[in-house]
Amino acid sequence: MRDLLYALIVGLALAGHAAASDPPSETVSASFPPSVVKRFESLPIQDGGRVKPIASFARFTLLRIAGSTRAKDADGASHESVEWLLRLCLFPEVAAGDPVVLVEDVQAAEAVGLPHEGKKKRDRWSYAELLPALPQIIDRAHADSGIDAAQRSPIQSQTIRLAESALTVLRIGRAFDFARAHIPLQQGTRAADIFPNQAEVTVADIVVHGPALAALERELASSDEGREKGAVAALWRGATDLCADAQTLAWIPPSVSIDEDPNWKTPADLVLAARRGAVVAESHIALLRAAEEVAARRTDPVRLEIALGELHDRVLSLATARGEGATLEAEVVYQRLGLLRWSLVAFLVGFALTALAWLRPKSRALNSGKWLAAATALGLLITVIVLRCWIRGRPPVSTLYETVLFVTATGALVAFGVEWVHRTRVAIAAACLFGACGIFLANGYERLDGQDTMPSLVAVLDTNFWLSTHVTSITLGYAAGMLAALLASTYLIISLVRGPRANAAAQRGLARSVYGVTCFALCFAVVGTILGGIWANESWGRFWGWDPKENGALLICISQIALVHGRRGGFLRDAGTCMAAAFGGTIVAFSWWGVNLLGVGLHSYGFTSGVQTALWTYYGVQWGIVGLGGLAWLRDRKRRPGLEGTSNPAVRSSATEVSVAPSKARPGRARRAQPDVEEIPAALPSTSAPVANADPR
Amino acid sequence: MSGQIGRTLLRVFSSLGLSCALLVLLGLLTWLGTLEQVHSGLYEVQRKYFESFVLLHDVGPFSIPLPGANLVLSLLAVNLVVGGLVRIRKGSSTAGILVVHVGILLLLGAAFVKHHASQDGRVTLFEGQSSSWFESDMRWEIAIRESLGDGTAREHVVAQESFEHAAEGEPVRIQAPDLPFTLEVLESLPNSRPQKGGDGVQLRAVPREPEAERNIAGARVALVDARGQRTDGLLWGAQDGPFSTTTVGRRFELELRRERYPLPFTLKLADFRKEDHPRSSMPKSFESDVAVARSGDERALTISMNEPLRADGLVVYQASWGPQGAGPGTALYSTFAVVRNPADSLPLIACFVIAVGLFTHFGRKLARHVRIERGGA
Repeated sequence: MRDLLYALIVGLALAGHAAASDPPSETVSASFPPSVVKRFESLPIQDGGRVKPIASFARFTLLRIAGSTRAKDADGASHESVEWLLRLCLFPEVAAGDPVVLVEDVQAAEAVGLPHEGKKKRDRWSYAELLPALPQIIDRAHADSGIDAAQRSPIQSQTIRLAESALTVLRIGRAFDFARAHIPLQQGTRAADIFPNQAEVTVADIVVHGPALAALERELASSDEGREKGAVAALWRGATDLCADAQTLAWIPPSVSIDEDPNWKTPADLVLAARRGAVVAESHIALLRAAEEVAARRTDPVRLEIALGELHDRVLSLATARGEGATLEAEVVYQRLGLLRWSLVAFLVGFALTALAWLRPKSRALNSGKWLAAATALGLLITVIVLRCWIRGRPPVSTLYETVLFVTATGALVAFGVEWVHRTRVAIAAACLFGACGIFLANGYERLDGQDTMPSLVAVLDTNFWLSTHVTSITLGYAAGMLAALLASTYLIISLVRGPRANAAAQRGLARSVYGVTCFALCFAVVGTILGGIWANESWGRFWGWDPKENGALLICISQIALVHGRRGGFLRDAGTCMAAAFGGTIVAFSWWGVNLLGVGLHSYGFTSGVQTALWTYYGVQWGIVGLGGLAWLRDRKRRPGLEGTSNPAVRSSATEVSVAPSKARPGRARRAQPDVEEIPAALPSTSAPVANADPR
Repeated sequence: MSGQIGRTLLRVFSSLGLSCALLVLLGLLTWLGTLEQVHSGLYEVQRKYFESFVLLHDVGPFSIPLPGANLVLSLLAVNLVVGGLVRIRKGSSTAGILVVHVGILLLLGAAFVKHHASQDGRVTLFEGQSSSWFESDMRWEIAIRESLGDGTAREHVVAQESFEHAAEGEPVRIQAPDLPFTLEVLESLPNSRPQKGGDGVQLRAVPREPEAERNIAGARVALVDARGQRTDGLLWGAQDGPFSTTTVGRRFELELRRERYPLPFTLKLADFRKEDHPRSSMPKSFESDVAVARSGDERALTISMNEPLRADGLVVYQASWGPQGAGPGTALYSTFAVVRNPADSLPLIACFVIAVGLFTHFGRKLARHVRIERGGA
């Protein structure tokens, strides 16, 4: 009920803005010049436990609300997230008409009685369109939030999200009210005398004269001068109301050291301090005045740019004096450049050039081009990771989002290595495909999660030693495991399509790559898993607790150890190795994402259905490839009666058998003698292909 | 004949086929045990899948018998020793594999020692409080205390194994030479709640909690003295005070409590601090300033996340705190997990050994492979 009342009050207030204001027509349609946006984007704020540029706040706020990093206004013009935020702060009456609130299912709007003619099933609504039903939305969301998240219907979840989005727009829209509105003075009262020659005051005026006003309030407390009391109370009430939603943005660094006060302030905090009789620092008063200047110059781009510059410089100077904000510019550049997007483009170009190079293998331009594109893509991705490390002062992987970037980069790097060794032109294509899929996944997850991808870490994770050892190792294991699955899938698809016509030597090389990458994955998965146990022992007092995430890591290790032993024992040949590795990809996916969806254990993230759908799609594709690969193997086996089913008893080796001294005699003997069957082709190149095709288990 | 059987057994137990089969089984058990956690608690899953020799896994109306992880791991250990250490060819090409297998054996050994020789539990202290014992999360005991009148008391402790099988109609009788009565545990309830019934308060069995540490055990007991006189009573794990009774002029107090283990020192909580990240409710750090006192010597230390206290074979970890949502000025408590594990440092050693083995073996193979491939290119 309190939320409902709140919504009614503030909702009407913003509606009031829209009704009372008559903004100049040029500002309604015009965007801010880039120079103004540039001034605004690096304004430091404290949010989610860290100091960040307002551009980052804008990006993730808009992602949560609109599911996009760009917003369209009522005229259909597109704006960057930070420009949308500036519009909402300075022109709330205009931005209220921007269709930014994503409604996944129009039934959610229908359920609260909103007319939805002309709206698609999944569409974006403006705050102004939602306003008539805002009380109902808040009321329903309040009721639905009492239901366990797992038990909520899609509409209930959507209603909660709708309410959160609408309220976020509302609060940001009112965040600068303190700077643009004035509070009238009741002339002839002692309160008015504190502000000589003024008919009305701003929040900054009240904060400046806070001690005097607080002293007057104390003095009047025991008197019965109702008018005088009312005048003082009206000023405090006015200031408090105007600052109510300014709490959304904490942009005022304390004037003391970070140890004395780590929390940045909002105008509401300054009003509260003033009301307690505290003398607010000059630097903070200057910030309030600078914000007033920004609000006053909103229709004049030149002066607005100057005012924003003044505000930015003052905030930054206070932050710098506390040792904060050193990497703000780097983060702005990181957000602005969008290197990930360019990396994706380069990976796709690299893949296309590789495909063309298959058709024209002798084209030097295509062969050079594919390497250039792939290397550029990987370079950009590595730059992204390094920039993030520098900005946050942390190892490359500390969040789920960062695992995607790291897996993508290291997987592509390993594929480069495979291509360098084998020169099959398959691994380079795999590197590009892997890179593109990884960045798609990263973008999709960022959009779905809608949270800062460089967040503060909870206490147990806040350790660079374990993040750089355990997390990095296990993530390398994920990367190599997924790459092995991709290469293995390629092998199986080629076998399925080409059958016995497939280039046997190339297929053999591919299978050996799969095995090599699996061994690489095994090293890091095993070491990473044990290091994770040691970390758990350091933090929780037990090495192993059978937690789903631990079990997932164990499953990866077990599957890869089984593959290595199966191949070593001759139970798995090329096709068998590839089927196992392709299946292993789903085990890695289960460990990486699947266990987090179970809703139990220490690593439960409670994702929405988006991840679930993607995960099951991947499972389905991989299982399909494994199944079809198995069928292809059976088919090809029947087509080669002379060779099929050469259940060479020698390959059923045991540790005892492999201890027999190696023989340089026939391949069959060599198979028995060599503990590592993948080495046979190197030793006996002329016989490798037929042997490989003979019994591809 | 016996020699042939022995050789066959040796071949089977050293075979890579057995390794593969056992690994697949272990993977299957791990997967099933992971999914089962959605429906059952971790403790139950652990006992059923990972600490058993055989189990029945339910698939719809069917129950499929499976070997438990204990059996699979035991066989894997045998397979590892016989095939992977004793009978494997020894040479430079298998040196890395041997080292890896030694590391895995160390890890299995550490798990064995942890399972059979460790104690773990927790101790909760408010600021200013101290304790010289810690208590188990899962295990219970019955304490029978007799005040000796000079400020001291004599205490008999009945371990969980001695009474947990007591059931309706199958009581467990417990005697001790200096106790003037026989303690009959008429029924032991792993998780229970008191409720008012026709004859006063009764204990009601309730389903076990998914998180086993949240179970509150209960027991219906009777004290029977030498003359056959019975005194019935109820013991409940969350009872405010002990159950008191007087038998042949001696006063006894009975208590069902979590199993207690002595600390080799007294642990006193001086101060607990919880810090959140600025302007968020995300915890940044938990820290407890403690004093460790032993025989007149007192040391001030800080225990925090990832920075446990290691002393006298025990490790004391910052585990949790409370009360949740406490406002300013509310007295806070800090909960420490306490573990006594003789094999505490073995996993780290095993990790080094395995890493060295893996990177030696596969690094060598990779170098050779690259030399051949690039050389032949």
